[in-house]
Amino acid sequence: MDFTLDSATPLTAALASGEPYAPRSLGSLRIADADLRAVLEGRRSLLFDGGMGTMLQAAGLAAGELPELLNLTDPEGISAVHAAYVAAGSEAVTTNTFGANARKLGGKAEVEEVFRAAVGCARRAGARYVAADIGPIGALLRPMGTLSFAEAYGLFAQQARAAARAGADLLIIETMTDLAEIKAAVLACRENTDLPIVATMTFEEDGRTFLGTSPEVAAVTLDALGVEALGINCSLGPAELRGLAKRMLAVTAKPVIVQANAGLPHVEDGRTVYGIDPRAYAAAVAEMVSDGVSIVGGCCGTTPEYIRLLAQVLAGSAPTPRTVRPAFTAASAQRLVSLPAGSRAIAVVGERINPTGKKRLQRALRDGDLDYVVGQGISQQEQGADILDVNVGLPGIDEADVIARVCEQLQASTLLPLQIDSTDPRAIEAAVRAYAGKPIINSVNGTRESLDAVLPIAAHYGADVVGLTLDDAGIPDTAEGRFDVARRIVEEAARFGIGPDRILIDCLVMTASTNQAQALEILRAVTACRERLGVRCALGVSNISFGLPARELMNATFLAAALGAGLDAPIMNPGSARYMDVVHSFRVLNGEDEGSGAYIERYGGWTDPYKGASPKAAPGGAPAPAVGADAGGEAGDADPIRRLILTGRKGEMEEATERLLATCDAMELINERFIPALDEVGVLFDQGRYFLPQLMASAEAARAGFDTIRRLMPAAGLSEKGAVALATVKGDIHDIGKNIVKMLLDNYGYTVFDLGRDVDPQRIVDTVRERGVRLVGLSALMTTTVRSMEETIALLHEQVPGVKVLVGGAVLTPEYAERIGADYYAKDAAESARIAEEVFG
Amino acid sequence: MQTGSPVLYRPEAGARPRIDRAEMLRYLGYAGQTIEPDLARRIELVAEQTERDIAPRGVWQVFDLDADGADDRGLPCIRLAGTAARLTGRDIFRHLRAARRCAVLACTLGMESERRLRTLSGQSPLESALFDAACSAYVEAAVDRMDAEVGRAAAEAGLARNRRFSCGYGDCPIEAQDGIVAALNAGRLLGLTVTPTHLLLPTKSVTALIGLFEGEPADAGERPGCGGCRLRGSCAFRARGTVCYG
Repeated sequence: MDFTLDSATPLTAALASGEPYAPRSLGSLRIADADLRAVLEGRRSLLFDGGMGTMLQAAGLAAGELPELLNLTDPEGISAVHAAYVAAGSEAVTTNTFGANARKLGGKAEVEEVFRAAVGCARRAGARYVAADIGPIGALLRPMGTLSFAEAYGLFAQQARAAARAGADLLIIETMTDLAEIKAAVLACRENTDLPIVATMTFEEDGRTFLGTSPEVAAVTLDALGVEALGINCSLGPAELRGLAKRMLAVTAKPVIVQANAGLPHVEDGRTVYGIDPRAYAAAVAEMVSDGVSIVGGCCGTTPEYIRLLAQVLAGSAPTPRTVRPAFTAASAQRLVSLPAGSRAIAVVGERINPTGKKRLQRALRDGDLDYVVGQGISQQEQGADILDVNVGLPGIDEADVIARVCEQLQASTLLPLQIDSTDPRAIEAAVRAYAGKPIINSVNGTRESLDAVLPIAAHYGADVVGLTLDDAGIPDTAEGRFDVARRIVEEAARFGIGPDRILIDCLVMTASTNQAQALEILRAVTACRERLGVRCALGVSNISFGLPARELMNATFLAAALGAGLDAPIMNPGSARYMDVVHSFRVLNGEDEGSGAYIERYGGWTDPYKGASPKAAPGGAPAPAVGADAGGEAGDADPIRRLILTGRKGEMEEATERLLATCDAMELINERFIPALDEVGVLFDQGRYFLPQLMASAEAARAGFDTIRRLMPAAGLSEKGAVALATVKGDIHDIGKNIVKMLLDNYGYTVFDLGRDVDPQRIVDTVRERGVRLVGLSALMTTTVRSMEETIALLHEQVPGVKVLVGGAVLTPEYAERIGADYYAKDAAESARIAEEVFG
Repeated sequence: MQTGSPVLYRPEAGARPRIDRAEMLRYLGYAGQTIEPDLARRIELVAEQTERDIAPRGVWQVFDLDADGADDRGLPCIRLAGTAARLTGRDIFRHLRAARRCAVLACTLGMESERRLRTLSGQSPLESALFDAACSAYVEAAVDRMDAEVGRAAAEAGLARNRRFSCGYGDCPIEAQDGIVAALNAGRLLGLTVTPTHLLLPTKSVTALIGLFEGEPADAGERPGCGGCRLRGSCAFRARGTVCYG
């Protein structure tokens, strides 16, 4: 299959052109010999080498220099290092290509020639297997960093192809800390070569990588992605890594590799030595081998002497057999959800990111207001969801583009694994390809078309899949009918190497008001699928109550019944306390909440809503005490809005606004109360009588008032004053100032399109065109990025001549702003609001 | 003061530095305004959460210096011996020329701080500004601790030290960040990265250089003044008659 470098949906494109998809298996790979095959099948051990950097630095290489260039300038020297490891017993020799990507080489050499030379060095040293080394790019990927997934993929693909052409026997991706980056590397290797892949990550003392990935998350994600062996390198000494390796061994049946450091370096008599001596090192590795680790080698500080002792540890012994308890697992980079076989553990799938019937979310998706969408994810996480379903399907939007961006932002701000919910295979692929973790695809169904389109995506990207029990004949009425469709989906999935442990069957809830007879059939189908197919089950619970009153009551009852029948993953609104009461109490019954600790903590002081009339204030009665007391102190307050905005008390704004709306027109309220108060705050800020947090607290309070007006008077037609685009320029990553400006302009009634940080100039131009933007605000914090600001302004003035550009940022002055072509300079956020008034008149 | 041995700074939860509240407020532009109790509570809460949830970590290492070199334009240039790091500009040259060795440090609040900055900026701009200021004060406090460690080690070795200097000060270009991060192996040891525009990521990170002298140190003053700062022309602190460094 031919994969293009910059496509977000290469697999869907290939399938559409009629290419068949063959899932990855050892049979589809080029494997050097039967012994290596035995290693990859877990039947034989393998010894790698030790630290190349250690040897080179001992020989005088400067820290920060490119050791990879030595393959070209000193091939004998590099070959000699390899030969020393071969002599010590290494079968697999790692090429000196850790940093040989185009970005790090920076034009000093070509990737292709470095790999060719490096593989040559290893071969000449007598290596039995040459493992081409691929290390991190050295730049952080989006959304935290600035490198895109496609760019990372492109760099790795270049290395993978160069390694294969140079004749490497396998690829080792190592020392990774970012799950997104290692995924880009694995995909690049899979899609551009037919060599076996070994992939390792490096963990800190807290058992996580710098980006928060645990050994379990790394193992289940890499396993599903199809690497042949996975594990840990660098990090710590072997004794500290044993626990981490065990955690991997417990969740994957693939061969596990460990390449530990020899402790930390220190200098003795002018020589760098490491804390753990070869004997202690080998003893600690022997423990891991007895736990089941079957591929070992060393990392920083391990010289041939260490490797020689490791050879003795492995000598002649076959890997320790192990058993892995099967489980349904889904993972984000920071969180693993595991539903082990034989347990009745459950996972709540939050359903709120779905625009169906939600006007506010629809608008946010159309306007690209990702902050609002992400806010929906954050609140569900706080409410107790375990997984977030993500559906952005709306007519008229580019679903593949939007879902990819939403998923990227959700990964920056939430910890939960995502369930990609779409009927468009392109959108599904765009989301799961760049997803850091093991996502769930929602969904495939029993129709030929769906099976053929979705299962290859799930197989290729190591995703779980939700299978809907419907096919061309529709949704069967009976439990048996649903079970038959489920069985067919499971069988089809197996052909793609997707086992039942990666499948959630959704038996499809029908409305009790119209299909009453089916309610119990659905539950019977759940039980049958779980017990006879070995899969887990999901259900969109709330469908049951359409057309009935007291829907939450009906839904909660059905949820309890479904959990009893075996439901594993209810797809529901975690914002409903009623549903979550069912979930929390069921977790006592299924044993998940051991000792009922969480239940007791939550409900210990609970007031049962069914018990007696609550002493609630009469409806429409006096305000809540806190507010009442306060208001009492300022009886006869002529302008509560002004007071609340000036003192930044957002908590009381909703009620005050609501009260005034009863007697006052919305527009009048805004123009005569809100805006003058905001102006007054701006003046106070200017005079230095308010400082920044006060300005922002006032803006928050005003915002709460505006939201109340919007909620109560959706038709009030709040004035749309005009569209503004904001961006931190390309190359700059500071966005606090820009965010404050956004907050203020928002309050003044402008429609603000926030493009984020490190923004490509063309994207700003496009937004101006598409959204009818008249004012663009640009921020740059560094003298070095003002250049990029200048280029952006030039492009804007050239491409969209009418648009005005406002600039701000610590290093700018009015003169400097003028020199780079800006129309306006704002010294602070309050100033930007006044400038906007001027522009929009 | 052995060269070649990285010293890690990883304070236990109980031994983390405290955020100087006054400094945090200064970063927010505070100049004596009356803060409403509600806002004061929010500020304090953010400071406490930052101290509780964010773990600073750092590494420092001593290098020999090679001050005889020149850069591509023939201007004076200092190298950290045994590394590819080069420091150019008159200011760093003056700072380190007479030094016997140089302690180089890097400190970061890590990816958790970056993640929280991202999350807050979209959800709560005020908390985001407070957290940003808290982190700035926090990483400074952590660097102060590391700085003091270096000072103690220097004193034990009979060396005098000058104040710490970071690239970006004066005419020392931030392009040097890449070399400094590589020389310290801070990518591997701290998860520190540098963007193509030479900014540190996570953003709440600092690198600095401290000259170690056998005799009287150059640039021994406690604090850099505004003279070496490129923001002095447009500085909001100076406009209010104060300075950013207290």
